[in-house]
Amino acid sequence: MEAVVRPIIALFGKSPFGPLAQHAEQVRATVELTRPLVESFLAGDRDRTVELYERISKLEHKADIIKNDIRDHLPKSLLMPVDRGDVLTFLKEQDSLADRAEDLGVLVTMRDTRAPDTMRQSVMALVDAVNEAASAWFRVAAELPTLEGASFAGPEVDRMMEQIKKISNLEWEADKRQAEATRVMFDQEAEIGPVSVVLWMNIFRALGSVADHAENTADLLRVMLAKR
Amino acid sequence: MTLGLVILAVVLIGGLYMAWGIGANDVANAMGTSVGSGALTLLGAIILAGVLEFGGAVLIGSSVTETISKGIVDTALFDTSGRWGEQGPTMLALGMLCALIAAAGWLHVATHIGLPVSTTHSIVGAVVGIGLVSFGLSGIDWGTMGQIVASWVVSPLLGGLLAFISFWAIRRYILGSTDPVRATVRTAPYIVGGVAAVMVLSFIYKVLKNRMDVPPIVLALGVALSAGLLAGVLTAAFTRSLAPAPGMKSFDFVERVFALLQIGTACFVAFAHGANDVANAVGPVAAVVSLYRAGFEAVPAEVTVPLWVLVLGGGGIVLGLATLGYRVIATIGKQITEITPTRGFSAEFGAATTVLLASSMGLPVSTTHTLVGAVIGVGFARGIGALNLRIIRNIVNSWLATVPVAAGGAALLFFIARLFVG
Repeated sequence: MEAVVRPIIALFGKSPFGPLAQHAEQVRATVELTRPLVESFLAGDRDRTVELYERISKLEHKADIIKNDIRDHLPKSLLMPVDRGDVLTFLKEQDSLADRAEDLGVLVTMRDTRAPDTMRQSVMALVDAVNEAASAWFRVAAELPTLEGASFAGPEVDRMMEQIKKISNLEWEADKRQAEATRVMFDQEAEIGPVSVVLWMNIFRALGSVADHAENTADLLRVMLAKR
Repeated sequence: MTLGLVILAVVLIGGLYMAWGIGANDVANAMGTSVGSGALTLLGAIILAGVLEFGGAVLIGSSVTETISKGIVDTALFDTSGRWGEQGPTMLALGMLCALIAAAGWLHVATHIGLPVSTTHSIVGAVVGIGLVSFGLSGIDWGTMGQIVASWVVSPLLGGLLAFISFWAIRRYILGSTDPVRATVRTAPYIVGGVAAVMVLSFIYKVLKNRMDVPPIVLALGVALSAGLLAGVLTAAFTRSLAPAPGMKSFDFVERVFALLQIGTACFVAFAHGANDVANAVGPVAAVVSLYRAGFEAVPAEVTVPLWVLVLGGGGIVLGLATLGYRVIATIGKQITEITPTRGFSAEFGAATTVLLASSMGLPVSTTHTLVGAVIGVGFARGIGALNLRIIRNIVNSWLATVPVAAGGAALLFFIARLFVG
């Protein structure tokens, strides 16, 4: 008798907000390793750099698994408090943070490049600014289930809107650090050689785009909150 | 005459069995959301459901019972002047028995193969089958039948609309206010008062209507408003002292308060469910009992449903709840955790108001389908993380299957029974 498919149970689908916060947590674990990665790269510790890259790669893969699981549970017949298309774009943007962190890992393990000591400070400043923007986003993302509980209304939402606005400032800060690091690098271009210049450009771009995606993800949440 | 006694005995057992099945299965759909949201403990849900299901069945259940016992089939055709002459009343009793057995049997089979079938649609389909096999299309009161089918479409929509408005208002004026804690404390008395007034109005009106000649709407309104006012004042005295624990998120406080308010709507649902669904079990019983009282010599035109028949139905529901229903409630409660007290409150308010309205109009609707409509209404007000709208198709399919199958089954049973009796 209890095997009946009850309409009232079948009605409830799997809410995406808990899993979206989980995905954010996995992406956070991935992006967090960019700091030790760049540090060991600057220190010329190749074994540790490769080891960190492998860890990043594994964590990124786990984020992908969560991402696909969320997608599989979002059929078109699902009624959600937010637009389904927005959720899917949001997920893709959030996943890109981990993807870019992995790209960075590939770049720093590709070639044994030495950085002059004069570059160290500006590079680490860029890494820190990027991580600050990203972790500002991860703090918001952890509150996604809270937003669902508050039905996307009220003081919780206002508080989160404030935090989202701060993220775009932090991204702007990271942009400036990226320009600064690039400028410092070109000051040494004769010393480091053209091949390394290309590599460094790509490293900076990968780092900068982690912050870009943090901002984009936050903006998508803002769109979801603003609708209706 | 002895045949009549046999029919009476079997229909009583059948009605009790059907009521037991409703208590075992359907109460869970209504109470599951309250247990799932943590508004009620399992024990609390069983006790409240038992008392209010019984109360709804006995106090309001007669309207829908009348519809099923004599509103769908044109019973006058079974009178002694009709096709079967003196056998007519016995044939009607036999037909009602067959309808009950067919409906119960189909529910049993459907449950086994996992179809989400409504008891309401089963019994209505089965009774229609008896009318059709006896007198063809003219055996059915199509006016009543049209209203019933329309109510099957309207009830989930109305339940959904009311639930949408309820949750929209909660979201707009409580969750979305700058100070949800203060908004909750301030609005709770009005909410409780409103729910109490609606509930009291429906049943006072019904009770008075049976006992007075003039439609006592003014008196009923007066009593209902006073009850609402009283409930509101009591709530205000209670909520004034409520404050969130330190560090508690404001909407968690709102949910905590609504967990208390949802006890009220859970009672409301149980009451409405008893009022509407008891007829599915005792509708045929009431028909046979009235024929028995007339000595199977005539089809009485105007007979009110005896109270003891409703007590039998209400008792059967409580029995089902006590023997098996509590387990099903626990199962559903565990599986529905997505619904929080504010959402559960809105859905239950929308569904119960709709079902009670239908009951007082004598329309047998599906409580479960109305509740599904109400939950979807909350979803449209951005209340629930994810709702599977494909369920709507399943529900429509279950109507389309249930009504013809129950009708066909009842017709076949009746045909076979007549070979032995006629």
